[in-house]
Amino acid sequence: MSDDQLTGEPEATRATALGTAELAARTERLEPLYDAAVKTLFWGFRLGAVLLALGVVVALVKREPLEREADPIPEVIAMVRAGHASGIIDLAILWFMLTPVATVIVVAATFWRLGDRRYALLCLIVLAILGASVALALNR
Amino acid sequence: MDIVYSLEIGAVAAVAAILGSMLGLGGGVFLVPILTLFFGIDPKFAVGASAVVVVTNSVVGSTNHLRIRFTNPRLAMLLQIATATGAIAGALYGVLADPRVIYIVFGAVLVYAAVSMVVRSERHVTAPPPGAPDTLGLGAAFRDPAIRKEVGYIPINVGWGMGVGVGAGVISGMLGVGGGVVMVPAMNLLMRVPVKAAVGTSTFMVGMTSVATAFVFYSQGFIDPTLVVPAIVGVFLGGQIGSRLTRRIKAQRLALLFALILLYLGLSLLLRAFGIEMPGQA
Repeated sequence: MSDDQLTGEPEATRATALGTAELAARTERLEPLYDAAVKTLFWGFRLGAVLLALGVVVALVKREPLEREADPIPEVIAMVRAGHASGIIDLAILWFMLTPVATVIVVAATFWRLGDRRYALLCLIVLAILGASVALALNR
Repeated sequence: MDIVYSLEIGAVAAVAAILGSMLGLGGGVFLVPILTLFFGIDPKFAVGASAVVVVTNSVVGSTNHLRIRFTNPRLAMLLQIATATGAIAGALYGVLADPRVIYIVFGAVLVYAAVSMVVRSERHVTAPPPGAPDTLGLGAAFRDPAIRKEVGYIPINVGWGMGVGVGAGVISGMLGVGGGVVMVPAMNLLMRVPVKAAVGTSTFMVGMTSVATAFVFYSQGFIDPTLVVPAIVGVFLGGQIGSRLTRRIKAQRLALLFALILLYLGLSLLLRAFGIEMPGQA
């Protein structure tokens, strides 16, 4: 009597089931990575939303019209220090834009910590590409 | 702060997000055409605003997909090399391009989306290819709540997937849309990634792709906070409403109506490229 007859399932199904169990275990090992990414995105959004709300409130209280164009990045901090609503809102927009970049850094660090050097390096390549676009914005 | 203008933009962004959410296309596909056609906003400012909105939407959406392990981080990072590179190239072209080029490309994408919605294939891959080699270590698994089972898969045709990713990135960078409209079918049909994992991975990716777009548009001064702020709020609220409506209404039943809306917007953009305005447009 063959194994198939004993277990009542065809060989292909068992192969898939075994593969799925291994793949599930592999995904399970990435648990710290999932948690770190979720925390970064969660707090990135929350803090960005708080900054945005603060900027809108300041604009309404001071009756300050918003600029039709976001300020260059080097000027944003000076605008925030001066208490301008447009500076706070620009900072909120930049915060939202930097949250995925921060997530890539966290994911790269977690891959490295888990011993997956190949994907840690791939993350660094992604980070370099995103960094190129950030550099463009910084040189405006 | 012009409150009436902000409320109008916020309402329009909410409608765009509701439609986008119900169709799984994201809000940008509707936001840019509505802002340009009905508010007379320069398409480059509309694309810049849309890119920031797509980033914010992805940040919110990704957390849900990551929690339930629908996202494949290894696959996302590998494909992201292609899509982010494409996005920077597309955005650099988009900020310099004649607005008529943006109208034509966007119009063509919407007409394509409308047609494919009507003749949509139901080919979905749900099982991994047994015994397939996984030299890149991209295989993963997630628990599908619909069937209450672990679903494992090993992506195939990775090179082709990256090639499509470059194209998706270029479109995303040029038009400020997420690129999920291209990447989800590519991952599912070409790479044999189950739909739920493809959507989860794509949602994670579009945030990073749109970051590249948004910073390029920021560098050229095409980020307008008076557009971005109400659009972020509107899209966030609209996305919540859209996801609830999607659970109650079968979006497929409204496919023809949605296809007609996409076709109308697409043809309007194509006509706008040749200086022709349809009635009621700005």
